Amino acid sequence: MKRRRGIVAIIAVLMFSSLSFLSAGAQNQEYTIKVMPAGGPPPRLPDGHPDFTGLWLPNSAGQGVSGRYGVDPEARRQFDPKVTPEEPPSFQPWAVAKMKSTTGTELELSKSSVNCMPRGVPAIWLQNPYGTMLVHKPGLFVQLYEVLNNFRVIPTDGRPHAKYPEPLFHGDSVGNWEGDTLVVDAISFDERTFIMPNGWFHSDELHVIERYSRPSMNYLIVQITVEDPKVLTKPWTSAPRRWTLANDKINEFYCTNNREVEELEKLKGLESPKSQ
Amino acid sequence: MKIPKILIAAAVTLGLVLLLVAPLFAHHSFAAEFDANNCREFTGTLTKIDWQNPHGYFYMDVKDATGKVESWSFQTYALITLKRAGIERQFFIENIGKEIWVKGCLAKNGRSNYAAAGLLKGPDGVLRQMGQLQDEPQGAPK
Repeated sequence: MKRRRGIVAIIAVLMFSSLSFLSAGAQNQEYTIKVMPAGGPPPRLPDGHPDFTGLWLPNSAGQGVSGRYGVDPEARRQFDPKVTPEEPPSFQPWAVAKMKSTTGTELELSKSSVNCMPRGVPAIWLQNPYGTMLVHKPGLFVQLYEVLNNFRVIPTDGRPHAKYPEPLFHGDSVGNWEGDTLVVDAISFDERTFIMPNGWFHSDELHVIERYSRPSMNYLIVQITVEDPKVLTKPWTSAPRRWTLANDKINEFYCTNNREVEELEKLKGLESPKSQ
Repeated sequence: MKIPKILIAAAVTLGLVLLLVAPLFAHHSFAAEFDANNCREFTGTLTKIDWQNPHGYFYMDVKDATGKVESWSFQTYALITLKRAGIERQFFIENIGKEIWVKGCLAKNGRSNYAAAGLLKGPDGVLRQMGQLQDEPQGAPK
């Protein structure tokens, strides 16, 4: 009986050790890269609205976090799902079937990060690990995306959408202020883009509403709503995602000599559709 | 010595827990193209760097047990990721012709002498993260 109790104790220690190991990164470590403080009040444009100008990174550290050690997990993420949970999108049954019929390799080949197609809106704000430089002045909001050297110019002077909008990767976009929040309304999208890299595609009825705010010097908050009645059963809204101000320069990123497509093509036909 | 059944059961349970957790550390795109179960270490001479997006590539001459030298190419993160982690092109330029150590995972499609670099150690002895590996920090983009 005594021996059995000893074995149980050993097992308990083993299990506890393994769990401690798994959570060590979150609790018992001195991190060298931490959450950036909020900073003081945000700068303002001559017209009194917040000025979003700056180079912004999609994390809470205000510096690169990928491929680095000593990063506080809080600093890696853009929101805390326990505080601001993000509801999963609710798809139409046909959309679920279409996504399920895709193989892992086909899904991979569909990704902008692999095939070098523009990410498009709203993916450029939802699935972009690189920096975005914002240039802001009264009546105009310019977004310079590091990835693929894409850019987007959004008028904020009260003009309506184009009378005959053409399909665009970034949509036909116009911005209007609601207090200190800039609301960008975008319609008319090129159908080759994906909302998320999990195969979430969209239809020609995609309508995207972006809400931008700068509650403090170092934080930019971006919240995205996706309306797409052909694909979704109801609109989807992201968590308010935090981008942090980086004391860094924007980089050039032309996609050249990409081997990934060619390498992945060789894997096609060697697998069955994935189950999601 | 006979191992008690309860201890074996605990070990199996622990193994299963770790197996379930392991995929959380893997990167999807990396997993699609490279085999995380087919990784190895390389020691050889750095010969060239292609500093380009969406991935950089570096090349090294690796000598096998028989003394035969083969050229290998290794994919890295996108350059922006390397740069924001403090790894510049100049690091490679300065180490061409020198011995380096790399841990990398081979391509799933069987392409020979081609791997994704995870870790690299140069003559300065510093371990640098070059790309995706199962044991790397989480959250890294391609």
